[in-house]
Amino acid sequence: MTTTSPHDAGPAAPWRAAGLRRAAGSRPAAVAAAALVVAGALASLFLGAADLAPADLLAARSLDDPAVELLLVSRGPRLLALLLAGSAMAVAGLLMMHLTRNRFVSPSTAGTVEWAQLGLLLATLVLGSTGVLERMLVAVVAALAGTALFLRLLRRLVLADTLLVPLVGLMLGAVVSGVTTGIAYRADLLPVLATWTAGDASGIIAGRFELLWLVVVALAVAWWQADRFTVAGLGEGTAVSLGVDHGAVVRVGLVVVAVVTAVVVVVVGAVPFVALVVPNLVTIVVGDDIRRALPVTAAAGAAFVLLCDVVGRVVVHPYEIPVGTVAGVIGGVVFLVVLLRLRGRGVSA
Amino acid sequence: MRPPATRHRPALLAVPTALLVALAGCGTPTADGAADAPGDVLVVEHAQGTTEVPRDPQRVVVHDLSVLDTLDALGVEVVGVPDFEAGDALPGYEDVETVGTLHEPDVEAVAALEPDLVVVAARSSTSFDALSEVAPTIDLTVDQADFLPSARERVETLGEIFGLEDEVAERLDAVDALAEETAALAADAGTGLVVMTSAAEVGAYGAGSRFGLVHDELGVAPADPDIPEASHGDVVSFEYLAETDPDHLFVLDRDAIIGEGGTAAAEVLDNPLVARTAAARAGDVHYLDSFAWYIAPSGLTSLETMVGEVHAALA
Repeated sequence: MTTTSPHDAGPAAPWRAAGLRRAAGSRPAAVAAAALVVAGALASLFLGAADLAPADLLAARSLDDPAVELLLVSRGPRLLALLLAGSAMAVAGLLMMHLTRNRFVSPSTAGTVEWAQLGLLLATLVLGSTGVLERMLVAVVAALAGTALFLRLLRRLVLADTLLVPLVGLMLGAVVSGVTTGIAYRADLLPVLATWTAGDASGIIAGRFELLWLVVVALAVAWWQADRFTVAGLGEGTAVSLGVDHGAVVRVGLVVVAVVTAVVVVVVGAVPFVALVVPNLVTIVVGDDIRRALPVTAAAGAAFVLLCDVVGRVVVHPYEIPVGTVAGVIGGVVFLVVLLRLRGRGVSA
Repeated sequence: MRPPATRHRPALLAVPTALLVALAGCGTPTADGAADAPGDVLVVEHAQGTTEVPRDPQRVVVHDLSVLDTLDALGVEVVGVPDFEAGDALPGYEDVETVGTLHEPDVEAVAALEPDLVVVAARSSTSFDALSEVAPTIDLTVDQADFLPSARERVETLGEIFGLEDEVAERLDAVDALAEETAALAADAGTGLVVMTSAAEVGAYGAGSRFGLVHDELGVAPADPDIPEASHGDVVSFEYLAETDPDHLFVLDRDAIIGEGGTAAAEVLDNPLVARTAAARAGDVHYLDSFAWYIAPSGLTSLETMVGEVHAALA
């Protein structure tokens, strides 16, 4: 998009307007995010259906000790999975925000999540319950195709209002989700679909989350290409004049977003608002330089998902509320607050 | 699930029922008599009131798989069934006319079959009113809070309609006797927990739940007495299973019935935390028949299967 309407300030505008002041806020934000991750990690390790106290671990003398086993089989893997999923989804949201130059576009408002779910369902129908890797591959391809379609649509439509862009994405996602539900209904897979659509970490133990390590590769690519993404976020015209191949950057970003979304959907399920709320909050404080915002976004995303999961484990102890449900409630409230604040300040909304 | 409003139905139905009785009375003086004359009717009490049903109806449409399970066991032929896939559980209905899905009966398709009797229950009970306009309809939904006696009553109603009271009574008495024997065994069997696995997610069910039969009537002491009576189960982690440590783990594999949806239950439960439970160490992890427990829990053969499975588990 090369429009320069006053509404289309894009995420780059606040950064340019207040770059220095915002930059100064970067270090405290990073420290705060890191502190939240540590707090979330400790809570995640020591709160759950079974009792596990740090003292139990210190008292353990062998790897067969029940406390150690609990840590290695259940708590540890769950913590790692949530860390990976949360940070990756938040970074995916940050990239989408820049690729579309719109604060409200994330994998969940662009239909990426819904496409990944459709791919997962189709793969399950065709391939059966075996072959997690194959199923994930199909989900990645579907997420990629769907998100590319969304970006193409955006190029066709010259949208004056920033809010229309995510609206188009939401509509597209709703259509895809409708198709998915229809197919699942026909195939008697509705309950299975429900467990995919609500992110749920209760089943995560050692041996059932390792695919999530793939998102580390995606995160590394995002980090490596961070400056290019920042420039792409300034708009195609600016990017090209600065010697950046805008199309290539968009393609790389698309692949990162699609891989992250599909892997997380396959392993954990959809966790709403992480990709939307976290990058928005972080860029308000840190600014839009991706190299600076990325680590803070990753940490804040991980902390958000960890804390949501801990809340879900504690409120109905020893049973659980899926992390996706908690994230939906907390994320929704935070999002509304952010939205109202942004409007109040006159920042591009 | 029945809508809360059903409580008032009997009163609402009283007027049309009275009219029907009057009309029927014109042709057959013995409205509720013992005569076997054609056109003889029976007043059937069911979950949504009372309905006049012809004795031994020939054209029966069934919307519920529990009811179909019972009729199948009794050798009663039906002319319409919902579109269902039950694997090997209920074979031989491929050529029978389908009349909508398990949840949504197709009223027009039912009307086209010109049935003498339509039976709804549980998932299809909300269509009672619409179907009643088409043909005599009864709702054989079972009261979950009073499961075995209520299921028995429903099966007996079917036996009465089709004149198979003796066979029904014999089989139900056998179920009751086995249930009593099971409860006696349960007294010394330690604790039990019922879980349902679905796409690698585990839900726990307690007393009063849809699988409450295990605790409520068959007497297995709940490993966790605090599980709320949620019909969809409370999501639990594997460490919950380790912590609850039941002596008997009853497992329902939902993916097994709905196709290739997820990982099979045995695979889901194959981990060190479950292996730590008393049930796993003693070989007391019992996989339940998903058709009987999940799809058609109040059918005659389902009742036999369910009580039989728990009995075998504790014996």
